[in-house]
Amino acid sequence: MMSGNRIGAVLLQELYITKRSLEVIMDLLVFSLMTVVVFGFITRFLVGAMNATAGSYLILGLLLWEIIRINQYSLSVGSLWNIWARNLSNLFIAPLSLTEYIVAHMLSGVLKTLVIFGVISAIAAYGFHFNILRLGPLNLALFFMNLTIFSWAVGLVVLGLIFLFGTRIQALAWGLIFLFQPLSATFFPVSILPPVLQSVAYALPPTFVFEAARQAYGAAASSGVNWSYAAAAAAENLIYFVLAVQAFALMVARSRRTGQFARNEG
Amino acid sequence: MDNATHADSSTAHQQEGPTPRAAVPEARSPEILLEVRHLIKDFGRFRAVDDISFVVPKGKIVGLLGPNGAGKTTTIHMLLGITTPTAGRITYFGREFVAHRQECLQRINYASSFNTLQGRISVWENLLVFARLYGLTNPGPRIRELAAYFEIIDLLPKRYWDLSAGQKTRVNLIKALLNEPELILMDEPTASLDPDIADKTLSLIEEARRALGVSILYTSHRMDEVNRICDEVIFLDRGRIVAHDTPLGLTKRIDAAQLKLTFDGERRVVEAFLVERGQRHGFPQPHVVSIDTTAAQIPALIFGLSERGVWITDIEVKKPTLEDVFLRIARGADDVG
Repeated sequence: MMSGNRIGAVLLQELYITKRSLEVIMDLLVFSLMTVVVFGFITRFLVGAMNATAGSYLILGLLLWEIIRINQYSLSVGSLWNIWARNLSNLFIAPLSLTEYIVAHMLSGVLKTLVIFGVISAIAAYGFHFNILRLGPLNLALFFMNLTIFSWAVGLVVLGLIFLFGTRIQALAWGLIFLFQPLSATFFPVSILPPVLQSVAYALPPTFVFEAARQAYGAAASSGVNWSYAAAAAAENLIYFVLAVQAFALMVARSRRTGQFARNEG
Repeated sequence: MDNATHADSSTAHQQEGPTPRAAVPEARSPEILLEVRHLIKDFGRFRAVDDISFVVPKGKIVGLLGPNGAGKTTTIHMLLGITTPTAGRITYFGREFVAHRQECLQRINYASSFNTLQGRISVWENLLVFARLYGLTNPGPRIRELAAYFEIIDLLPKRYWDLSAGQKTRVNLIKALLNEPELILMDEPTASLDPDIADKTLSLIEEARRALGVSILYTSHRMDEVNRICDEVIFLDRGRIVAHDTPLGLTKRIDAAQLKLTFDGERRVVEAFLVERGQRHGFPQPHVVSIDTTAAQIPALIFGLSERGVWITDIEVKKPTLEDVFLRIARGADDVG
C-alpha cells in the first residue's frame, strides 16, 4: 500500500529544490514565459499577414506543448537532482517504494504544469488576445489528461534509461521529448506531413489532441468534444503507459542487477 | 513497478510512523538483527561477493574490513536493497528482506561518506524530508534533539553544501538516527575526514551506541577505527570472508612478534647466540638489537642471553596489530584465516 506521508515527503523535497534551483526556474518558468512571448508576437504577425485562425494555431500548439514538456521534464530531471546530489540511495534505503517515488514526481509535474500553464495562458490572453478557454473546459481537461499521460510514458522510459546507463545519457531528460514535437503535428495540421510521417503521427497520442484542439479552436462557436479523437488518444496512451511501466520496471531491475543503480552516484 | 511493491501489502496493517519494536514477531533468535546466508554477487564473470555468511547480533558493532575491491561496499548495497544479489538470503529481525523490504528498512538506517544529502536545501529541510519518509508525525522535536546531541543546532538553517566535511558527517549521522534504528549500516563514514574530525566522529558513534543502544555494521579499511569500536571483525578479501573474530582474537592469530632489547655487553656474543638460534635480527644502535621472533620464544631468548652474561637493561615487545593482520591478508598470507 502506498503511503501518503512518503509521497508527501518527496513532494516536499521537490518544493524545496524547485525554490532553490535557478536552473529549474529557468528551464520551466522562464523558458515557458519567453516562448509564449516569442510565439505571441509571431502569431500576431501571422494573423495580420495571413489567415487569422491558422496564425493562432502556433500559440495554441505552444500552450498545449508545454503540458507535455513540463510534465516530462519534472519526472525525468527531478530524479537527476538526487543523482547529482548523491542522495538517491538515501531515499531508497528509507522505506520509500519506487512506485511512491514515481507517483510523487508525477504529482509534482502536474502541479508545476498547472501553475505554469495557467501563467502562460494568462499572458497569451492578456498580451496576445488568445483565449485558451475557447476550447471549452471539457476539451481542456481531456487534452490535459491525454498530454500528461503521454509525457509520463516518455518520462518513465527516459528515467529508466538514466537508471540503466547512468548520467552519461542525461541529456535525454530534457532533449528527447522534442523529437515528438514535429511528429505529433504540434503547430500544423497532420495533412502537411508526408504520408509516411502521417502514419507515424497518428501512432502518437498528442497528434489527436493537437488536431482536436485546432478543430475546436477553429470552430465559430465553442464546439463540443471530438470523442473519436479523445478515445484514440486515450487508447494509445493506455498502451504506451503500460509499455512504459513495464520497460521502466525491467530497466530498474537490470540496473539493480548490474550495480549501476548504486553506481549512478559514484 | 518494483520489487518493493509487493512488500507494501505486508505492511498494510501497520500505521504510519516508526514501527514499534515489539510489534514485529521474531521468527528467529531475537538477538540476531541481521543474518546473511551464502550471499553471492556476480557482475558478469567477475564474482564480487563470494558466498559470505555472517550475523550482526543485537548491541554489537561488527566491522566489515578489507582492502579496496574486497566486496565491502557491494555487500552493503545488497544489504540495503539497491543492488540485487545473485544468490543468497538476507534476513533482518528474522524476516526475509526481499519479501519485507519496507518493514525492514523502517527499522534500519545507513550512513556513508559516499552519499550526501541535497546540497541546495538547508540541513533542516533535508532532515524534515527524511523524517517524513520514515513516518515521523511530529519530526521537529526529534530533529532538534539530535541536532543538540551532535552540537549542530546552529547549522540547521544552513545549506547542506555550505558545511564542512565533518559537519556533513554529523548531519548524515543525524539522518541515520532519525527513525530510532535498531541497526545502522555505516560505509566508511570517516573516509573523507581529517584525523581529528574522524576521532570526534568515532566518539559520537561510540556515544550513540552507548546512549541509544544501536547496533552497527561498520565498513572501513582504517585499522585503528575498527580496533577501537568493533566487537567483531569480518575480514573480506576478493569477495570472501577470510577471517572472523574479535580484534584481539585476530591479532593473536599472528604468532610473530618483534623483540627489541637494549643490552650492556658484547655485541658479538649477542649476535652469535641469535645466529645459533636461527633468529632474524638487526642492530639499529650499537647496544640495541631488534629480533623478529614469535611470542613463544621470547622468554627463552631473554633467558639465554642472560645466561651468556649479557645484561639486558630494557625490553620492548611489539605485538602484531590489526593492521599487520590486514596487511598479511591483503598480501595473500594464509596463516590468519
